Amino acid sequence: MSTTWLPCGTYHQNYVHDHAWWQTKFIKAKMILLLIILFVIIPLVADSYGLSILNLVGYTILGAIGVQLLIGFCGQITLGHAAFIAVGAYTSTLLILEFPWPKILMDWGLAYPISILIAAIVSGAWSVLFGLPCARVKGFYLILTTMAAQFITVDFIITGYVSQIGGRGQAFSLPPGTIKIGPWVIDSDLKVYFVMLVLVIVCVIGVLNLIRSRVGRAWIAIRDNDISAEVMGINVIKYKLLAFYVAGFIGGVAGAFWISNLAAISPEHFPWFWSLWLVGVILIGGVGSIHGTIFGSVFMVVVMEMLQLAVIPLADIYPKLLVDFLFIKEAVFGLAICVFMIFEPNGLAYRWWQMKNYFNLWPFSY
Amino acid sequence: MTVTTGIMVGGIYALVALGWVLIYKCSGVLNLAMGELTLIGAYVSLSFYSMGMPFLLALLCSLIIGLVLGILTERIFLDKLIGEPVLTVIMVTVGLSFFFKGTVEFIWGTDTRVFTPPVFSIEPIHIGQIVIGQVYLWSFVAAIILLIIFVCFFKYTRWGLAMQATADDEMAALSLGVSARFVYAAAWAIAFMAAGVGGTLLGNINGLNISVGYLGLLVLPAVVLGGLNSVPGAIVGGITIGVLQNLCGAYLDRYFPGGVKEVAPFAFMAIFLLFKPHGLWGWERIERV
Repeated sequence: MSTTWLPCGTYHQNYVHDHAWWQTKFIKAKMILLLIILFVIIPLVADSYGLSILNLVGYTILGAIGVQLLIGFCGQITLGHAAFIAVGAYTSTLLILEFPWPKILMDWGLAYPISILIAAIVSGAWSVLFGLPCARVKGFYLILTTMAAQFITVDFIITGYVSQIGGRGQAFSLPPGTIKIGPWVIDSDLKVYFVMLVLVIVCVIGVLNLIRSRVGRAWIAIRDNDISAEVMGINVIKYKLLAFYVAGFIGGVAGAFWISNLAAISPEHFPWFWSLWLVGVILIGGVGSIHGTIFGSVFMVVVMEMLQLAVIPLADIYPKLLVDFLFIKEAVFGLAICVFMIFEPNGLAYRWWQMKNYFNLWPFSY
Repeated sequence: MTVTTGIMVGGIYALVALGWVLIYKCSGVLNLAMGELTLIGAYVSLSFYSMGMPFLLALLCSLIIGLVLGILTERIFLDKLIGEPVLTVIMVTVGLSFFFKGTVEFIWGTDTRVFTPPVFSIEPIHIGQIVIGQVYLWSFVAAIILLIIFVCFFKYTRWGLAMQATADDEMAALSLGVSARFVYAAAWAIAFMAAGVGGTLLGNINGLNISVGYLGLLVLPAVVLGGLNSVPGAIVGGITIGVLQNLCGAYLDRYFPGGVKEVAPFAFMAIFLLFKPHGLWGWERIERV
């Protein structure tokens, strides 16, 4: 059951050890070090620009975990995940702006946390609605229905109807100070960073736990072969819809988190490109691995930022480049997906695994 | 009249959908880059046209470039993916679509361009009670002519028969001396050419910008409607989607403002799939463990 390589001479004597999160003291120390780095050292050393990039990474991770769950663990290919993120973001925004909160909740700063939860639930339900066709169709046809989810939700319902609520026009602006958690007003990159960190850690650990439970094993069985999964007595439709629900739930969390970083939200924040981007992230990171989601997010965001940094000096020579950067980004993203799919179909997570094995077994790698 | 316009536009969709079905039948690749193929073809022929070539010659040149690009795409990207899982292949085509789109935007920009001087006169034609724009009529005629040419190509030429054989049973075709790699390349080349012509015609109707690529995406509902591996299905599906789109634009737009026309085919497709998952004439695959 254990997925980590244990050092020589360490073995388990009971199931509690075997199922433990941190199987050796060394791993525990590594993880605590990681937490210290994330919570203490990075906020101390990083400037506002660095933090904003990290926030983008966190948002990508939150969005991509849902996609990873659907594609990597349940085998249901989705190309419309941005729709569910959008539902989450809009639900949360509308709740904050329009809902008559009782005064006590406002005073305690609970409006935003509660709205995150509600947004996640709503977006999970919306996701199940568009997951319903998976009861009958799979593979390519399912891809098309999820694409339909994207176009119907974002381009039609949100643009045409939801945006009209309150007569604000196309974009909902969030006045500074509206987003509060407890006594803290989320108004700087640093505070967004902490919110992001907590949400990402909760979601990652939640999904990891879900995957090693009965539910996760059912998903993996469905991914590998849904007919034999059904023969083994797994309620295929129930578990597929559950996967859609959980993916939509985390998507909703991602959307509701991201409004804390934006001054205004509009449908243009959730284009079809973003759905495909999330799928690209998990493909580059590695399908069927939560580590892969994180690696993929970091890799894609950092590469795109580096591309941007590389373009800025060149812009003195070709001013057109700055305008066209978006297009270069698209082309590079496309090419990156193609290259990874052709030459490294297992993604970055596989390389990481190889590296870890090398050092675990070093110097006798046989 | 709405129906007539729908049929005319549907003719173009049918042409692009034919290219899609061809790739799927011959090589099993589910191609999500079809919209970008239409974009490339349209922009290439627009460039030739604005250089002062006559329209037909420009179309011909874009066909040749489509041929070359199709073979190159197949050789560089898709050739290595034969036998890989569906998701891999689909995502490569998604990657290709981004690559193509980014390149097109980089070269030609995002402003709407029109064919100047207009290729077809704006004087409408009266057929009995029905009034049709000349653009629509000629596009339809061109699309139908090309459809007939392609169908004849498959039925009567040696290469077309080889492609049919590969589509039917790859192993048997290989043992009879048909080169599968040639067939794959030919399928992509033909898809590129069909999409290019479709894109050019669409660009003549409304002017040319990135949204033509979105129209190219509408072939997906069309092929799903007809069944993924059926050529007549693609034609019927294309025309149906064209009609449906125009009817929704004409009648539903009043009740649901805000782009019913663009979304209707996808909504229709999602509902249609619930009832008939294999389309009208698609093969039902019986799965065994």
